Amino acid sequence: MKVRWLLPFGIVATPIAHVAFAAQYMTVEQAQRAAFPDASEFVLRVLDATSLAPSGGAPQGWAPKAWQARAGGRELGWLMVDQVIGKTELITYAVAVDAHGAVKSVEILDYREAHGGEVRLAGWRQQFVGKTGADLLELNKDIKNISGATLSCRHVTEGVQRLLKVYNAALRGAAE
Amino acid sequence: MSGELLRRMRPSLGTLVELRVEGLDAVRATRACEQAFAEIATIHRLMSFHESGSDLGRLHRARVGTPVRVDARTYEVFDRALCIAAATQGRFDPTVAARQVARGLLPRPASSWTPDPAARWRHVELVGRRKVRLARPLWVDLGGIAKGYAVDRAVEILVAAGATQICVNAGGDIRVAGARSETVELRTHTGIAAMPALEVIDAAVATSAGPFHGADGRAAAVHLNGRTRHPVDARRFVTVVASRCVVADALTKVIMAGDSHVALQALEQFDAQARVHVFGQGWLPEGAAA
Repeated sequence: MKVRWLLPFGIVATPIAHVAFAAQYMTVEQAQRAAFPDASEFVLRVLDATSLAPSGGAPQGWAPKAWQARAGGRELGWLMVDQVIGKTELITYAVAVDAHGAVKSVEILDYREAHGGEVRLAGWRQQFVGKTGADLLELNKDIKNISGATLSCRHVTEGVQRLLKVYNAALRGAAE
Repeated sequence: MSGELLRRMRPSLGTLVELRVEGLDAVRATRACEQAFAEIATIHRLMSFHESGSDLGRLHRARVGTPVRVDARTYEVFDRALCIAAATQGRFDPTVAARQVARGLLPRPASSWTPDPAARWRHVELVGRRKVRLARPLWVDLGGIAKGYAVDRAVEILVAAGATQICVNAGGDIRVAGARSETVELRTHTGIAAMPALEVIDAAVATSAGPFHGADGRAAAVHLNGRTRHPVDARRFVTVVASRCVVADALTKVIMAGDSHVALQALEQFDAQARVHVFGQGWLPEGAAA
């Protein structure tokens, strides 16, 4: 173990969190390959306002994407990609769901500091997150953690729940 | 073998966990990361305070005084926790959970008893053969120390897989391994920009949690002094460096407790270093901020 402190004594700044960073972890293509290595094609499905409605409404600007993974005409599952704001970070994440509707994986694709416009966008999005009592109850039950979820983790978890509603309403059992 | 870099991030342990590995080809690196994430998820499932099926959940539902068999990993974390509690005369105490439930910071667990307010860490007994016994009614939260342990285990798995440079970051519980020096940054309230805080080689870094805002809107510290059970000074913030993350995380609580003499002794005993930030005074070495 070797340490070199770079903090000059006496510098006044109130640190709140560790390590700000920006990183791309995976591209959408890499996430598709990782989740469905046997797929021969990924077919983009356009999610319109009707498909998004069951998740609690389809506010302007919310545009998650969904690809069906196929092998020789057979459905292997879906990969859905969306964004949430953590505290001040813009987080792009992917949820892979198998042909039976079970979650295969949740991967962060991209993580970076958000800009003003995106944070404002997050403001209304948080209003719409867990809007109903039923939703809140569900989220409390589903968020499992050791010592209190961070905002980033909570928002990703909420986002996953939202995408699963879209999946159940619009994608599950879809032939094409 | 090439020196490729692979970074992955997933939600786990109630935070976003990042793995970074170098020195493995893409296939091996991906496989090693899968193993590390799987181990982290297992540790979460075993040691979560929130999940009734965890080892802690089973302990809290058992009869007081009955030995409960736990996973070897849970047993090891208990052992570390009690060792640090003993060394710090309870400034770090994993049995503060009942107070945190009362403060609304932890959910009430499914449990057959009401905790005894006088129960302390010494009423948790390791009775061998991976069995844990509670001598009095109490609730245990392994919280941050389990998170630190998960980071340590992930690093061990990635080292064993042959990675040459590794960084695991679970929401501020960080450990780096490898020959190269890594810079750890802190983000400040004053802006989004991060500032470099320290450079480390083969070391773990942990920081204390920031204050939370209670129902009355006032800021209070999340952490309690394990001995007095009072919230620590909300104007303090601590960064600790140790060789293992499980130790670094526990020592943040010891230093936040504010007894400088005990804190310095613990830092020496566990070969760790710390910096304390005090609101209005800036960064200070531990000991100067008493």
